[in-house]
Amino acid sequence: MINNFNFLQAKNIKHAVDVLAREERVCPVVGGTNVLVNMKRGPLPVDTILDLSGLSALRSITTDDGIISLGAGVNVAELLEWSKANSVAAELFSPMCSEFAGPLIRNLATVGGNICDASPASDLAPPLLALDASVVLASKAREIRKIKLADFFQGVRLTDRLPDELMTHIEFQQPNDERFYYYKLGKRKADAISIVSVAISIKYDKEKVKRARIALGASAPIPFRSKSAEEVLFEKAMDPQIVDSAAAAAVADSNPIDDHRASAEYRRRMIEVLIKRGLTKIADERVNSR
Amino acid sequence: MSKEPLEFTLNGQKESISILPRTRLIDVLRNELGLTGTKEGCGTGDCGSCTVLLDNQPVNSCMMFGLQARGRHVTSIEGLSQNGELHPIQQAMMDHGGIQCGFCTPGMVLSLKSLLHEKSTPNEDEIREAISSNLCRCTGYKKIIEAALSVAKTSSLSSVTKEDNNIIGSSMVRGDAEEKVTGGSVYAQDVSFPNMIFGVLLRSEHPHAKILSIDTSDAELIPGVKAIVCGREVDMGLYGYELRDHQIFALDKVRYIGEPIAAVAATSLDIAYEASAKIKVTYDPLPAVFDPEDAIKTEAPLVHDDANAYELDWETERSGNLCYKLNLSDGDIEEGFSQADFIVEGSYETPVAHAGAIEPHCSTARVDSTGRATIWTTTQKPFVFRSYLASALKRPLNKFKIVPTHIGGGFGGKLFPSLEPYAVLLAEKARLPVQMVLTREEEMACALLRHPSKVKLKTGVKSDGTLVAQSARMIFNTGAYGFYGPNTAALASLMVTGPYRIPNLDVTGLVVYTNTVPNGSIRAPGAPQLAFAVEAQLEKVARTIGMDSLEFRLKNAWDEGDVTCLGQKLESVSIKECLTKAADAINWNEKREPGVGKGLACLWWVSGQWGTQTLIESNEDGSFRLINGCVDMGTGGLSSSVIQMAADGLEVRPELIQLVRGDTDNLPWDHGHGGSRTVFTIGESAYDAAINLKQQILKEGADFFGLPLDQVYISEERLCVRGDPSQSVSLSKICFDRHKKHGGPMVGVSSSLPQPPPTTKDHPIGGFSAASFCAHAVELSADRDTGEVVVKRYAAAHDVGRAINPAGCEGQIEGGVAMGLGLALMEELVEQKGKIVNPTFADYLLLTAEDMPEIETILVEKPSKEGHFGVKGVGEPPIAPPTGAVANALMSAFDIDVTSLPLSSEEIARLIRERHHDQ
Repeated sequence: MINNFNFLQAKNIKHAVDVLAREERVCPVVGGTNVLVNMKRGPLPVDTILDLSGLSALRSITTDDGIISLGAGVNVAELLEWSKANSVAAELFSPMCSEFAGPLIRNLATVGGNICDASPASDLAPPLLALDASVVLASKAREIRKIKLADFFQGVRLTDRLPDELMTHIEFQQPNDERFYYYKLGKRKADAISIVSVAISIKYDKEKVKRARIALGASAPIPFRSKSAEEVLFEKAMDPQIVDSAAAAAVADSNPIDDHRASAEYRRRMIEVLIKRGLTKIADERVNSR
Repeated sequence: MSKEPLEFTLNGQKESISILPRTRLIDVLRNELGLTGTKEGCGTGDCGSCTVLLDNQPVNSCMMFGLQARGRHVTSIEGLSQNGELHPIQQAMMDHGGIQCGFCTPGMVLSLKSLLHEKSTPNEDEIREAISSNLCRCTGYKKIIEAALSVAKTSSLSSVTKEDNNIIGSSMVRGDAEEKVTGGSVYAQDVSFPNMIFGVLLRSEHPHAKILSIDTSDAELIPGVKAIVCGREVDMGLYGYELRDHQIFALDKVRYIGEPIAAVAATSLDIAYEASAKIKVTYDPLPAVFDPEDAIKTEAPLVHDDANAYELDWETERSGNLCYKLNLSDGDIEEGFSQADFIVEGSYETPVAHAGAIEPHCSTARVDSTGRATIWTTTQKPFVFRSYLASALKRPLNKFKIVPTHIGGGFGGKLFPSLEPYAVLLAEKARLPVQMVLTREEEMACALLRHPSKVKLKTGVKSDGTLVAQSARMIFNTGAYGFYGPNTAALASLMVTGPYRIPNLDVTGLVVYTNTVPNGSIRAPGAPQLAFAVEAQLEKVARTIGMDSLEFRLKNAWDEGDVTCLGQKLESVSIKECLTKAADAINWNEKREPGVGKGLACLWWVSGQWGTQTLIESNEDGSFRLINGCVDMGTGGLSSSVIQMAADGLEVRPELIQLVRGDTDNLPWDHGHGGSRTVFTIGESAYDAAINLKQQILKEGADFFGLPLDQVYISEERLCVRGDPSQSVSLSKICFDRHKKHGGPMVGVSSSLPQPPPTTKDHPIGGFSAASFCAHAVELSADRDTGEVVVKRYAAAHDVGRAINPAGCEGQIEGGVAMGLGLALMEELVEQKGKIVNPTFADYLLLTAEDMPEIETILVEKPSKEGHFGVKGVGEPPIAPPTGAVANALMSAFDIDVTSLPLSSEEIARLIRERHHDQ
């Protein structure tokens, strides 16, 4: 059952935020892959579809003064190409993008759509959380607003975006000497919804962890960073005991669901396994690279 | 809402139309522009059958608003061939046997075309990734990948050239391949009529409840509603297969979530849904029962008040929720166990599974002024559907004409009416053509499913490895109605021994009603369930006695002349050859790394019989029409092998024989496509009809030359005279003369009903005609912590008797292995209190091209003694052994006991952890 709505194509960002300010119940769309699935399940509270797919301003990836900015309209296939060509956090982006749904969806689904859909199992969220990214929101009424991605997620499919705001891009500091790990555990090799996904970024200061970011998907009502695990690692050498404690802390921070894809118990075990693996791999690589 | 203009470029042509904003791109193509080559399998971006190219990038056209295509370039399958010349990938798909049912083909071709456009020489991994969004249920992807590789290597049109002139044993391209690869084949969802309206079903929300009232008055007032039908106004009959216990609408009570209560037709699907939501049903919920073990307890709520009242063709004891009970014994079970040195027990469970055809059920009905209904539908059994409808609606058989469309995958999922009776009733009431399509969610949650099973086995073995006894208690949950429940249990009972000598046997099979979705007869009913249970049990037995799995199986496997538990004396037995070849293909005896396991599993199966009639008629130009009432569900059995067998009989090129597509008014009767019968039964019948026709042609030739019959023969489309090369006449002249000058057209006829081989015991199924044998071997590894499995090598050896079309046989095996690996590793419909909670292709997982392992397909040809060619059916068996083989590989790798399917990562991780928890 698909409901009725108006369809407006935004001419530019100003036009888009005007529409968002003026109209009630507007749904911004670039790819449409979330909206069309959701509409099939029942009428959405939407009167206007605002199509942003023609806005080239939303489709660029730029680096400016050490800040990398991913346009909300960049699709996952484009993000994959970019990560291969630029090797910016490629250990996070390449596997995430190439395991994101399947190639057909990757040609439609976008950065903005995946983030604003705020699925607990969002594939993009953990890598971007591990990069401490910020969502940039434009509106007619207010100044540009930036909010940490970690604060942007408010609940299952719920974000901090106000109805008149447009997510224009997401930005993060260009990584400098960080080490990364990413793993998505799914039920098959392609086109799978994650059971658990893990993204880790570690920055060392000599032998010790200067900064750890441990991000998890499908492990709680929202994708999140495990502050407890990050604290365990802070200013520690990554020996096996610390690794175990960090993994245990991440499990304690998590709150996964029990559903037909996996039990909460299995998800908790896998959070532990994958974080241990990730940290161990990063620690081993550091040893080997010296 | 008003229409908005849409201008875009489609297949190189500017299009300018107006559409409603909510119209999806797929609807623009199919409904607004009439290009039906783009298919809808799910509507949620999970199957890829709607793939089109958007500015050369493949995308799901069901996931885009049509208006988003403004100013862009869209390529659909219809735009791929240029000036009548196929794109190289289209040609390669035909030549390599990459096409079966054809439903995924347009999308698959477009994804590959885009890949080949981006990279002229992609490697195999890149090909697998490129098509990983395009689900194919038929082929197992192998031949599709080979097709893509062949194009990649030459980057010019390359075809498989065959110098071999033999008709039999040649991998002839199926007759409908070009039609399918260009998107021209008409499937049920492509049927359309002016003034056609759209029907939906109102389904029960309760697993078990009395219906107190149904109020349709509000729904009838909605503008655009043309007809509403519910059970109370229909003279409904009980119908079914061997058991007649089902009515098309729930009347006094509902027995499962999803049971149809009413049907609504309206001028649009939206209005039909709106109206169905306005029908007020008041229920009085009843206690429900979901687990078959609970259901057979005396205090269980009764799904049917008196199950004994229903007609059943087979004798059985029935009471309470027990729908059917089967006992089978051989030898003396007590005596057998007393001879055993070891007795091993095990319990095995399998879940509800779906046939997984990418095409959902769809039917369109039109009723004429005399009340006669014509139904265009996706069915494996057009003629049998007439009888079902006649019983269900209590009308004469000839009130129904079934027009079978191309089938987008059957696999046993299209053996029983789904939407047909409702479409007829709505069309009759509305006096308009009515089309109904199951949504993907309805398809997964309400179509007839594969029976879940619980099997308890007890096996006695001597310390030298000789099997001496086995007892089995099998319980099948048939859901709220029997459908193929009794048949499934009966077939399963013959799988308890597997292809092994077990002289003392005792089998009990219970088929139990519960308040869950009814189950049907999915590809090899009962076989994957029992192949899993029996082969995992044998693995346990081999481990108990410390014997190598291969050696143990070879010791007990049947030999020529062995006798089955029914007393059937086996002929043309090849199980040991299959086992040895499959095991060799994965280097069975080489040393195994830790965490790596190898597993074997075997099966025997029947080549289906049932009646058929084939006519082969001469055309006036010396070509022929082959006319049979079966419909090819995608396997190619009918559109290649049967044609080859007829051509062999007639001694003409297969290209001269056209397979006639028709309907139940103009085709001769046939039982339908299923039961691994097509090539065995219909192929033999086609050969007999060809021989019958050839005799007539030879007689014409003999008369023409004034010679005795034995002095003429057919060669290269001419009638020739033995020993005199100077004398010959063309076949076309002989045929032309019969059509235009004397005698009338020639027709060869064969009507046949093969009989099963004799047995010494009575059993509802009886002996297995042209029994087939197969063995599979797998090598896999698993991650000890996460449980993730990597299938490293897979080999499937199948005795097909005689490979009429080798690529066709391989296609059945490779596709079957993909389905069987799905059942082994990931396919499961999760039922919670009678509700299926994962009814989508996002959560009911079929293997993708990236999940499908390398597979070595081994054809063993030990001809059956039944029939001229000695063929053995190959359609069903390949899906069963993967369940057992995967289980056994895991058991051997980690020293665990596997007890249920699917072997998800979670389940494997749990088994390993619990087994090695102390270490």
